Amino acid sequence: MSAAREMLCDTARAVFVEAAAEGIAPVEAAGFSLLLVAEADGGFGGDWGDVNAVLAIAGVAVPDLPVAGLILSGLGEADDALHAAAAVSLMAGAMGEALGLSIEHVNTRQQFGRPLGKFQAVQQSLAVMACEVRAVEAAVAAMAKRLDTVGLDAGAANFEIAAAKLRANRAVGVVTAIAHQVHGAIGFTREYDLHRVTIPLMRWRGAHGNDAHWAQRLGRQVTGFGGRGLWEAMTARAD
Amino acid sequence: MHGCRDMQGFALYPFDPPGDISALRADLRGWLAQHQPQGDVVERANCWASFDAGFSRALGAAGYIGMTLPARYGGGERHPLERYVVIEELLAAGAPVGAHWIADRQTGPLILRYGSEEQRQRYLPGIAKGKLYACIGLSEPGAGSDLAAVRTSARETAEGWRINGQKIWTTGAHLSHVILALVRTEEGSERNAGLSQLLVDLDTPGITIRPIIDMAGNHDFNEVFFDDVLVPHGALIGTRGEGWKQVTAELGLERSGPERYLSSHALFAALIDAAGSDPEPALAVLIGELAAEMWTLRQLSMSTAAKLAAGEDPMVEASVVKELGNAFEQDMPRRVQAVIDCGWDDENDLARLLRALLIASPSFSLRGGTREVIRGIIARGLGLR
Ligand SMILES: Cc1cc2nc3c(=O)[nH]c(=O)nc-3n(C[C@H](O)[C@H](O)[C@H](O)COP(=O)(O)OP(=O)(O)OC[C@H]3O[C@@H](n4cnc5c(N)ncnc54)[C@H](O)[C@@H]3O)c2cc1C
Repeated sequence: MSAAREMLCDTARAVFVEAAAEGIAPVEAAGFSLLLVAEADGGFGGDWGDVNAVLAIAGVAVPDLPVAGLILSGLGEADDALHAAAAVSLMAGAMGEALGLSIEHVNTRQQFGRPLGKFQAVQQSLAVMACEVRAVEAAVAAMAKRLDTVGLDAGAANFEIAAAKLRANRAVGVVTAIAHQVHGAIGFTREYDLHRVTIPLMRWRGAHGNDAHWAQRLGRQVTGFGGRGLWEAMTARAD
Repeated sequence: MHGCRDMQGFALYPFDPPGDISALRADLRGWLAQHQPQGDVVERANCWASFDAGFSRALGAAGYIGMTLPARYGGGERHPLERYVVIEELLAAGAPVGAHWIADRQTGPLILRYGSEEQRQRYLPGIAKGKLYACIGLSEPGAGSDLAAVRTSARETAEGWRINGQKIWTTGAHLSHVILALVRTEEGSERNAGLSQLLVDLDTPGITIRPIIDMAGNHDFNEVFFDDVLVPHGALIGTRGEGWKQVTAELGLERSGPERYLSSHALFAALIDAAGSDPEPALAVLIGELAAEMWTLRQLSMSTAAKLAAGEDPMVEASVVKELGNAFEQDMPRRVQAVIDCGWDDENDLARLLRALLIASPSFSLRGGTREVIRGIIARGLGLR
């Protein structure tokens, strides 16, 4: 990560701590609506990689606040697909947190005289979950790269946004189910932090296009490419 | 909150091969249009098991094998990520790369890394020409997932190493020139201590290769028996007693490649073509889902390759690619069967590909380490064991 993006993330973390107590106002005050606005127009000239990094943090720290909408408001009327793209970044952050909480929990909670993480059944479940989280992280990074290549033109990144949102949607079921299963009853309480990421994940799956919506769109785009054309399109868009 | 964990994920390595990658793809596609055999479509699925020595020699002559090896051994001195681009193109096209596959992917790099100068000169040029093929001698009847239970022994004598024992499930042994065997060189040693790797010419007296026919009716894998086989001292590769460490590195090469998600691509392509330009909704949904998964797997696989190319050890990432890729490829024929209307015995391309891959698919989560073993490696990477 570049030093500039590192600094941006530090700022975001600090601002989101305030926002967790006070609502969206501190995020507005910090100027996040200027993140994507060009420097020439008085903005920060950030790219989608920056948006992705900030939203991954927001997905953990303030999943209930409209941070994505605020950032996109700087673009004026942002394309619907950009809102879907922003949702994927939030989801990636929240899934990473669900995995982190789960690892921490199974390494501390003891049953049968051992940490839960020593049981093979638990290990295998968490491996499955980790694969889903890594997949979403990879998808979101590739989507960000495409958006930056095409200057945030959502139409030119339609394949990547559809694929990333669909992949993230499909990971939600696995990630939330396993995270809750390995936590046991404590994860089902209001006091414990897990629901602060799992409930938003459930919500985001249906927001800005559910699985059926994106699968239809992507499927029709792919049949347009044709069998051989899919590979040619996939490589041409990324080279 | 427990603080932000956004930094804990794997860093995604940027996939930035040097040179003109579009030109590399275009050249290879042009070459394939001239040279890829237009044989049976079923050969194009699971194509890294399709053995075609003529094709391998032509591919080698065109410079697409041993691409990363030094020129003095007949290699192309290309960047590992250029090689990655070439193999993903070959797999996506369903080219019959099975003959040279193992030698190019793992045996060659291993000889370069651990081999003596004599071994390099003896084997690498043939590998790069697409003429010298290798097989993997790890599994034994008593050593499957538990590879450290290997019992095949090699004793050092004045004349050389004397090998006794048996390997099993050895893919392509009957078509290969050499076997890279993991053997116990220290008498009385246990588990992963006392193991070494020997590179053995398969025409050495005392070696017997017996076919095992798989459930698809194919002869791909074999039993390999060693009955007092004498090989020169120079057959030892790398360091005596370090076999376990060397094999672990070899498995990293074996697990991380694009073959883990691209070997059933022929079926996906046939499905897309059969769906036509105005697919019914259930078919469009399935194609969309498969495309999203495949695209994501490609990102993971490229990032893992980039990490490997940067000289780091992507053991866990490679396992993630293998786990997700195997699941993708194993589920694909089942999901296709669930939505398309086609009889088991139909003779069109889609039906035949479907049948072949339904039958082949149980092996995907066995070969190269079982699903359970792979998940165990991932769990260790998460700090759970
Ligand atoms: C098509 C194909 C090609 C192959 N080619 C080669 C080759 O070229 N060279 C070579 O050396 N080998 C090859 N193999 C062998 C392959 O590496 C082994 O099949 C694999 O390592 C598993 O060993 P096994 O078959 O003895 O199964 P086992 O180890 O007996 O496992 C059976 C089942 O039990 C599970 N299991 C085992 N131990 C544990 C545990 N501790 N915890 C939880 N579950 C466990 C396994 O995951 C699996 O599901 C090939 C296999 C196939 C199918």
